[in-house]
Amino acid sequence: MFEQPASPSLVSRSWGFRLRLPFNVALVLPAQLIILAVALAPAVIVVWLALTDWQPTDAIPWYQAETVWFWNFYDLWYDERFVNAVLRTFFVVGVCVAVELVLALGLALLFLEDWRWKKIAVSVIILPMMIIPVDAANAFFMLFNEHGPINHLVSLALGHPFEFSWLSHPTWAMVPIMLCEIWQWTPLMFLLVLTGLIALPQNQIRAAVMLGASPPRIFFKLVLPLLLPVLGVAVLIRCIETFKIFDPVYMLTRGQPGGATETISMYMYNGAFVYFRMGYIAAAALIVLILVVATCLGLAKSVQQHG
Amino acid sequence: MENRMRDGQSRRKFLLTGAAGLAAASAPAALLSGLAFAEPATAANAHVVAAEAAKKLAVGRSVKLTILEPSGSLGNIKPVADKWTADTGIAVEFVEVPLGEINQKVLLEAVSRSGSFDLALPATFGVPDLAESGILVNLDKYAELHEPPDFQKDVLYTIGDYYKGSLYGYETDGDTYLMFYNKPWLENVDEQKAFADKLGYPLKVPDTWEELDAMMAFFHQPEKNMFGGTLFRTQYFIAWEWWGRFHAKGFYPLADDLTPQINNPAGVAALEELIAASKHQYAGAKSNGLFENFEAYGQGTAFANIGWGGTQKYLNSEKSKLKGKLAFGLMPGGKAGGELLRAPYFNWGWNYVVSSVSHEPEIGYLFSLYATSPAMSTIAVRDVDGYFDPFRGVHYEDPQIREVYTPEFLEVHKVSMQNSIPDFYMKGQGEYFDELRVNLTAADAGTKTAKQALDDTAHSWERITRRVGARSQKVQWAFLKSNYPEAIRGRLK
Repeated sequence: MFEQPASPSLVSRSWGFRLRLPFNVALVLPAQLIILAVALAPAVIVVWLALTDWQPTDAIPWYQAETVWFWNFYDLWYDERFVNAVLRTFFVVGVCVAVELVLALGLALLFLEDWRWKKIAVSVIILPMMIIPVDAANAFFMLFNEHGPINHLVSLALGHPFEFSWLSHPTWAMVPIMLCEIWQWTPLMFLLVLTGLIALPQNQIRAAVMLGASPPRIFFKLVLPLLLPVLGVAVLIRCIETFKIFDPVYMLTRGQPGGATETISMYMYNGAFVYFRMGYIAAAALIVLILVVATCLGLAKSVQQHG
Repeated sequence: MENRMRDGQSRRKFLLTGAAGLAAASAPAALLSGLAFAEPATAANAHVVAAEAAKKLAVGRSVKLTILEPSGSLGNIKPVADKWTADTGIAVEFVEVPLGEINQKVLLEAVSRSGSFDLALPATFGVPDLAESGILVNLDKYAELHEPPDFQKDVLYTIGDYYKGSLYGYETDGDTYLMFYNKPWLENVDEQKAFADKLGYPLKVPDTWEELDAMMAFFHQPEKNMFGGTLFRTQYFIAWEWWGRFHAKGFYPLADDLTPQINNPAGVAALEELIAASKHQYAGAKSNGLFENFEAYGQGTAFANIGWGGTQKYLNSEKSKLKGKLAFGLMPGGKAGGELLRAPYFNWGWNYVVSSVSHEPEIGYLFSLYATSPAMSTIAVRDVDGYFDPFRGVHYEDPQIREVYTPEFLEVHKVSMQNSIPDFYMKGQGEYFDELRVNLTAADAGTKTAKQALDDTAHSWERITRRVGARSQKVQWAFLKSNYPEAIRGRLK
């Protein structure tokens, strides 16, 4: 005799929801929901804060903050420091990533062939990116100090004392910051480009060599186009990272003099964590997010087209 | 408004007089309540009164106070805290935070409400923001209970203790801005003659910014390693000098309706003069901070410097080549309405405040009272390596303090303290001043004109005021204006 099965209605009632989900979806759903909550909750809070004027100094919880609707965005539009910080950050990203790319490409080409001390040299080249960014920035702060080694070297070269305040000059203060960024992160770009170069299909290159193409022609007509997807990804990664530049700015100048080196992360740090203008900075963060996503999508599209 | 400062004090006086009368009529009660009632509570015995009251509150319990203190102040606070523990049995522990970050840490406590400290020593200019955040205890009720009627009588600067008329802390550092001059240069007969021949008036401690600027220009000869001054040109400090220059031209920074006046012709002229004076500073003026400033001026190669009591402590030490070779002056003034207008400026200071999350707010208050009492604060100010400067009349008579600072310096310091205009104690002070600093530095660096820089600042200030709440700001501004020294108040527009 078979045992009487449980009531079908009970089975469908207790298992009904799960049975309707495909097995693979049911497996990933909890993780997806958690990730969604972790990402979504802060995003919703940021959007809410952007519509309020909330500051911890108001002595009211953030969820009870008075809404000011789009006043923060209006103020940001006329906030010269914010606009300049955004433009300055784009400038820093453009210069740093371009220099890193050129240096990385040059180095990667040097390291394409096998030679005696290659492995040691690679280890030495990638050392800067192993250093904690704030320490690297501190080293550059000391290097470019008025009485630091850079001025000393220039003095030796000129034959007379050279005292230049690199970090308090409105034009030159950005140079040590960008140099620090380039020095530390060119190795990452180098590794990405080197990996791309090694992975290139060798048959086409060999064929070009056999046909007598010159090395520059092979590089510009064959290697570079084949490498473009890798370069695109490398540039995209570095653009996103460089946009967040903070440690060198904080350690070297804190945005001084007169806001001449204030990047968007420094501006937001001051607004949110020094003056606690959470609502205002949330609005700024949203604008920056839109700008960065738009830029990255543009870059990604260009990578796809060449891929 | 001024209710606590005026009505409140008379109310307390009334209560205390009543309590004293009651105590006199009731001997057993007086015996039970100890010294506080055995003799009338006065500033002179405030530390005893505070310790006795704290002992009573803590009786039968193990109480420990945690103080959030700015780095470098332990030398001032610890000797007092040790005495407090000996007098009350209440332990004190310290949490040290970087000097420039303490106001931020206290504000963060307003968000986290962790109860990680009972008292803190924030910079005085940050008290309004802290009070608005709800993290500070309004001390009016405790002051009514415990503060002796004459407690604040010989304190030379108390404006920073109050926000919208209520007591939020006790000042513990006399940070008024003063001038330092290279005495051998000032008294050099040849230089005096050359200067008088060139400028048509004598070389002496300058009365006005105009005279100071002329003297700095006169002495500035970098090729001979002689500089006009070591006045700050770094972003954090630059605004304070401009603030002094601007007030000396006879204006408040805000009109009664909170319209910024900083970008008026006087403000622009003050900035242009500051920028012109930048040419006569030593090379590090644009990049060096506080301690580098001490060291640079201590080399003896510059004519003028600006600073606080802490500057004098360094300059009067063996580390300085100018020890015993200094002349002192109030911050220079200006000519307003044809007459000299001086506006000495109190621009830093540290206040004992009590956390609203503390489990022992009353004992915290009593510690503040104890630490800032004449007897205990004298011990704190004596510390050579600390940076608490004299702020009570009694400090100026203490032999040890006179030795640390020199009588000549204290003479000028006392006058400056008595006549100091207050700092900008408004909600959002940090933001207002940040905008000012950034724009002044931009003008000094040449990336903006003086007019542009101040116009930009004024626009930012309007936005800040609108956001912070104009109605509330008007209340505090009226309170602040009414507390400018009387002699200066009548002459500012």
